[in-house]
This record gives sequence, structure tokens and C-alpha cells, in this order.
Amino acid sequence: MDGDKELDSRIEAVLKAEKENIIPRMTKKDYIIAAVITLISLLGIIGGFFL
Amino acid sequence: MSRKHDVNKEIENEVYCGTLPVLPKERKYGFIDALLVLSGYCIATWSYTQGSYLATLVGFKQLLIGAFLAAIFMLMIYQLPVIMSVRYGIDIWIWLRSVFGTKGVKIVTVLIIIVNFPWYAVCCELFASSMENLLGLFGIHLFNGAHLVLSLSCVVIGTIIALRGVGTITWTTRILVPLLLLVGVAVVVVGFTSVPMDVIWNYQPELAGDADKTVNYVLNIEANFAFVITLVGGMAEVPRLCKSERSGYYAGVLGQGAAGSFFVVVGAVMAIAMQYVTGEMVNDPTLMMATLSAPILGLSSLLLVAFANIGTQAVGSYIYGVMLKSTFRKSSYKVLVLVLGLYVGILCVWGKIEEYFGSFLTISACVYAPLAALLFVDFFFVRKQKIDLKSAYEEEGHNAYVYSKGFNIVGAVCLALGFAFSLIIYDPIKSVVHNRILFMLTPTGASLLFTALLYYLLCKIPGIRRYVRRDTYASPDKKPFDRARIPPRQNAFFLPAMWLLCKIFVSPYKLKIDKHNMEGIKPPFLVYGSHNSFMDFYVTPLALKPYRANYISELEGFENFGEWIYRQAGCLGTRKFINDQSLIRNIARVIKRGDIMVIYPEARYANVGTNSHLTPSVAKLAKMLKVPVVTLNMQGNYLQQPIWNLKERKGARIHADLKCVVTQDEIDKLSVDEILGRISKELTYDEYKYQLENKIRIDDEWRAEGLHYPLYRCRKCGKDFAMTSSGSRITCKYCKDSYEMDEYGQLHSSSGEIIHIPDWYEWQRGFVHEEIREGRYKLDIPVRIWALPNSVNFVDCGEGRFIQDNNGFSLEFDNYRSEKHETLVFPAKSMVSLHTEYDYRGKYGPCVTLSTYDDTFFIYPTDESRDVFNPTKIQFATEYLGGLYQ
Repeated sequence: MDGDKELDSRIEAVLKAEKENIIPRMTKKDYIIAAVITLISLLGIIGGFFL
Repeated sequence: MSRKHDVNKEIENEVYCGTLPVLPKERKYGFIDALLVLSGYCIATWSYTQGSYLATLVGFKQLLIGAFLAAIFMLMIYQLPVIMSVRYGIDIWIWLRSVFGTKGVKIVTVLIIIVNFPWYAVCCELFASSMENLLGLFGIHLFNGAHLVLSLSCVVIGTIIALRGVGTITWTTRILVPLLLLVGVAVVVVGFTSVPMDVIWNYQPELAGDADKTVNYVLNIEANFAFVITLVGGMAEVPRLCKSERSGYYAGVLGQGAAGSFFVVVGAVMAIAMQYVTGEMVNDPTLMMATLSAPILGLSSLLLVAFANIGTQAVGSYIYGVMLKSTFRKSSYKVLVLVLGLYVGILCVWGKIEEYFGSFLTISACVYAPLAALLFVDFFFVRKQKIDLKSAYEEEGHNAYVYSKGFNIVGAVCLALGFAFSLIIYDPIKSVVHNRILFMLTPTGASLLFTALLYYLLCKIPGIRRYVRRDTYASPDKKPFDRARIPPRQNAFFLPAMWLLCKIFVSPYKLKIDKHNMEGIKPPFLVYGSHNSFMDFYVTPLALKPYRANYISELEGFENFGEWIYRQAGCLGTRKFINDQSLIRNIARVIKRGDIMVIYPEARYANVGTNSHLTPSVAKLAKMLKVPVVTLNMQGNYLQQPIWNLKERKGARIHADLKCVVTQDEIDKLSVDEILGRISKELTYDEYKYQLENKIRIDDEWRAEGLHYPLYRCRKCGKDFAMTSSGSRITCKYCKDSYEMDEYGQLHSSSGEIIHIPDWYEWQRGFVHEEIREGRYKLDIPVRIWALPNSVNFVDCGEGRFIQDNNGFSLEFDNYRSEKHETLVFPAKSMVSLHTEYDYRGKYGPCVTLSTYDDTFFIYPTDESRDVFNPTKIQFATEYLGGLYQ
């Protein structure tokens, strides 16, 4: 029973934190950087075929 | 006894706390911390095995590309969804319950462990080889079978450590990671100093005569994809402890992609150096150091490698033991660890895990690739970064992820097909490429793409989307439907398929279409159709063939069948009985581009197969558009599937009259009243009269079931909501007055009186008008409300109060948009009718809808109001108050 209450309160707290963006989100800039790194890696892999 | 108790308690605590969401204040790791932890996990002696395996495939430069770029490429993609773990403080196993179901995830967990645990057999093999090789250097030769004894001893010692619980494991990890780093450094120093640099840099493997360099390069990329992707299971616990999404994500990428890959390259360097010096490629760091430097260094490294392998085995047993324990709560942790030990032991007895290392990697990736694809698509495109935590934790009353008895069939099918897809491309056991083109994407990459696409497209199908997104109630999409969006033309490629489909649907009912005054009538023109059932949407395209058309559709259809398919069919979405100026603009656009605009002006299915009154706006719109007006009067569609009982009646026969009622020349000359008169005349119908005149026999035994919805008032005792229906009879609950519906749609009383159903229907309307005129009409009841903001989902608005009186409607409820308890008012004169359902979608029961620009509210009775909630009576009152029948 205590376990259920603990779980309940944690879920509520996590959802509240999510709504208020307490855990910093990935920003648009982060996604763009990720996309660029992915693209460079892909180009590198393709380039490897010609070595 | 007390020690045993302590370990069990520790594990129970670890399992319990290990599955709970981690609160923001409890987060431990910044980027650096997470990077170190994850790097530690990725660095193991198997990195050397991977490195030496790659060195058998490709030259050093291609090996570098594979080890770093391929690893980072794959990690950048499949690590992205870990941001959900960070956001909610949960590991991926909790989240996977949404993808596979609460029971399905257990099977996936076992599957993952089966494909992942051979890594630990690799450790045991390395341990045994190290021991043998080093002892061999000192001239000590062991007995036959000593290799197996040594590898099994690694399993046994690792398992014993794991059984001692979390404290011992913590200390093991603390010692293990620095030791491995130390071994790595030693290998790098020895490797790079004992052979010239250019030997390593220009290294090319000696390939067999039939070896294909391109295939080997792809296998190199594949091995690195597989290497990083298969470690996700063990790393799943870490991101939820991170303080930001970015740190969790990049720590995962760099932990494997930089640190892990560096050790793979170290392993490759070692193997290349050994081959240069001894002519033999090995993956044993102990032997390498003993050979390339001095036996004493080998002896020292032996102790390090021995402990490293045993420690890795112990940590692995612990991690997966806890993972299994959290899945199978009732099983003993110790039993689970012993089972894992037994599994590795069997692999050691088999003794070929190193020989089949590449195959094992690819088979593992065959499972992981679709899994990663499902996670990615599910998070970003299906659930759109939201999860119902309460359902994921199976809280009471939250069953969104139970699916089909605990299994998400869609997730399971995608996983199985994704797995099969990679095997179709490449046989990892026999190393045979089956499809060279797809092989270029690598089996892992192709499987990832295929599964991602499959799951994405399946979830676009409305029925499947609703199945998978049972959690929408927790985080619904609230963005209002874009009514102003310019409607596309009906898809020309889609049209033949649509006609074929329509043909198939109408074929049992022998559709006959008669065209009148249609010579020379070409688009653009306006079509007004009668509206009786969904069959109208199959008859209309066939009547307008060969032309394409656009249709106005209530948003509910978009939600039910999917927005994409509705758009392809040329539908314009709107809400009923609102003043939608965007719709008028879009209608004008359709006409302007030369197409046909189809409108069902009654805006609701006929309740008893008779037409509703039309308003002058119908004629005004035609005058505004200045195009010919065509009517489409469809008969039999109601008989085939009346709104009060959606079961299809196979005996029905359908017929349609397409008629031009106002030509281009007449549109400016005729008045609004004249146009309205012509349209109304052609759209007058009585389905029961049509049935009787054409002797259409409908003999289904259940033909009257549901008829009490439109015929709710007893003709004898005069009580409202008194009727009930069963089989072919409709009966009063109170006075037991009963009528038999014959096979031609006529009602027969016990006294022999014959009742025409529309007459009974209209007779009731009179009483409602009287109640309103005398000020007696008022409905004030509790209701259940669901809002439909868009084509994606309904939003549960809970219970509210529904009031209808001479002023119109009031709807009092918790408005999800404003997050306030509000009363929405719909003035009587703002609506000439309202949408009604008698058994919504065949399972939700009776309802009426009220619309604002951004929401359609579906209003259902509660248990308390079920007996006094009748959509027909509400509709009668609305139509009278709105001025349609005054």
C-alpha cells in the first residue's frame, strides 16, 4: 500500500516536472547539431566505400 | 541466514527502487558523470574481440571509419529516444510496455537477454585463452579440456560475486573500470611501440580469393552498428539518472561512440601488431603483451585481464539478474542469476562463440534493430513524446498498455517482421548475402528502416492507431483541426481504386443510377445529395463518374478513417451546424479550380428515411457560386443501414437519380426561393414508401431492433421514452402496446391498424412543439462529454451538465482548453438542427453533438440520465427552436 502511494506521488511529481520543464529539454539547436553530426557520419561511411 | 536475508532485501529494494520514476531532485549525473559511467560499461575485454574481428575484414582506415563514424551514426539515431528516459526518470523497459504491452515486454526482456548474454561467454572464453596462452609461454601445458574448465570457472566465480549482491558489485565495478583502462593503456603503448606506425596505418587484411571488398566493408559497418546497438540493454538504466536530456543523450552517444570505439580500435591495433610480429592474429591482450614486450608484463596483465573478465561476468549477471527480477517479480534473484550462469555455461561448453562472433553480433542486431526502430518511431511519431505513466506502471484503472491480454500485437508483429527482414537480406550463420542492394544498407540499417516505416505506416491506419494509442486519454492531442487548410483535389491515382471499392460495396444492393438533364453538364458544378447512411459515400462517386469531386465531411469521419485517406478522397473537414466561413471559402476554391462540390445539405442521416427541411442558405450558396446545380436523390440507402440499427440489410435495393435542376443559364435568373424549391422538390424522399412501391423485401428477424430510438413515444399511452424494440417488434414498456414490423417496412398493431413509420415519427414532433410553445420543455441532465478537437483523438471532458430549454443549449463542464469549469452557451437560433447518433460507432450508445469552431462535443447520457436522454426528441426541439419547423 505504501509502495502504491510512493509510486503515485512519484508519478505525479514527474508529470508536474515534465509540464514545468524542470528537466532541461533538448532544444532545437541540439537537434540540429545531432542532425549535422549524423549527416557527417553518414557521409564518412559512404566515403569509406571509395577507400 | 542474516546475510542471505540481507542480499534478498537489497535486491528487492534495488528492483523496487530501480523501477520507480526518478524525481528531478534525485538525479545524480551531469554529462561528465554519465559519460564516465557509460564509458565504463562499454569498455570490456570483448572490445578486443570486436577489434580483431574487424581487422579480418577491412584495412585500418576503413576500420577507423567503421569503429567511429558507423558507431556514432547509429548511436545518434537510436540514442535519441533516451530523452524520454531522462524526461520521465524511467528506464526503457518501463517505456517498452507501451510498445509491447505489459506482458509482451516480459517476452522481449527474455529475448534481449538471450541474444545479449553471449557477450559474457566471450569474456569467459577470453579468460580461459589468456590463462592457457600465458601458461604456455612459461612452458606449462594444460590437460585436454582445461580450456573449458577455465572458462566455466570464470562463470562460476562471476556468478558467486553476482549472488553476493549490490555491495560486492559496487566494489567490483570500482576496481574493474580502472583495471580495464590500465590494460587498455598498456595495450596501446605496447602495440604502437612494437611495430612501425605505417604498418598499422597501411594495414590491409589478407582476404580469401573469393572475398568481396565491398561486402567486407559493409560487414565492418554492420559489425559496428550491431556492436553499439546490442549494448543498449545494459545501458538502459543510466539515462534516467541524468539531469538534462542533452547530457543523457550525448553521454550515451560518446560513451559508446568514442570511449567504446577507442577500445575497439585498440583491439584492432593489437591484432594487427601481433600479425605483423608472429604472423597470427589474436585478440588476447595478455598474449600480445607477453609476446611483444616481456613475459613479466604479460603475467601482470594476466591478473588484470583475469579479474576484468570475471568482474564483467559478475556485473553482467547482476544487471540482467535485476532486469529479470523486475520483470518476473515472484522469481528469486538467486535463481535468476543461476539460470543466467547456466546459460553462459552452456555457451562455454559449446565453445564456438568466438568462431561465430560476427554471426552472433548480426543475429543480436536483428532483434535490436527493429526494437530501436520501434522505440524511435513510437516516441517521436506515434506517442509524440508522451507516455501514460500510470498505465506503464499498471496502476489501478489505467489499462492503456494491456492491449490484447497484455500483448501489443502491432509491436510484436513489427518486431518479428523487422527480424525476418534482416534475415532475408543476409544469412549471418552461413555468411551469405541474399539481396545485395539492401545489403548495402547493412542488415541492421535495412531492418531499422523497414521496421520504422512499417510501424509508422501501420499506426497511420485509424483502427491500428486507436489500438496502439489507447493512452490518448492521458495526453491527447488538443490542437484544433485546421478548417482553413486548402483541400486537395481528389487524388487522380486514388480514384480508380475508390470506384472499385464503391462498386464492391454497392454490388449486393444492385445499384441503378438514372441521370436526368445531365447532357452537356460538365464540372464545375454543385451537387446536393440526400443523406441516409454511409452508403451515400459509395453511391455518389459512382454517380459522378468519370469526374472527380470534393465532399464535405464532419470531422468525426476524419478521426474514424484517418485524415490522410479522407484528404485523398477529396473531403473538406468541418463541424456541423456552425457558421464556418473557412468552409465557404474552400467550397469556392473547389468550384474555381473546376471541380465538383458535393454537399449533403441535411447535414445528418435521415432518422426514419424521410428528408429534412432545407434552409435558404442552400440556394444562396448556389447563387453565389454561379454554377449549375445537380441533385442526387438516393433511395434504399436508409433501408440498407438505418441509423438506428447499423447492421446491414442484405435485402435492400438501391437506386439513385442524378438530375441537373438549375443550369448555368438559369442560375442568375432564378430567385433564391425558386432554386430552393427545385432542390427541395428533388430531394424529397420517403424510404418506406419506396420500399413498399418497389416491393423490397427485408426479412431480417432483427429488422425492428433499435426502432425505439426514433419512435420513442407510445402511440397508446402517450408516454415519452416508453418504447422498446426486439426482433421485428416495437413495444411500449408501460402499456405493452405492440407493433410488428413487416418485411416491407410497415408497422401492424394487434388491432390490425397499419402504421407508416414516418407518420409516427412526425406525430411525436408535434408534441415537442406543443411543449415548447407552452413553456414546458426543459431538459437538465447530467451527461458524459467527450470533445473532438481534431482528426487525431477525442478528449475526455468527464461529466457535466446538459441543459436545453427555449433559449437553446447550455453545456456545463470542465473545459480542457481553459482548464476551468465553464458553461458554453449555444443560442437556439444559432442551430437549425443538431447531429444525433443512436448507437455511436455501434458501441458507444446514443449521443448528440454540439460544436464550437475548435471542438465538437459528443454528449452521452450517464446512468442517471439514460432513461430521459433521447436524441430524437432533443433534435425535434432544436429544429423547432432554430426555426426549421416554425
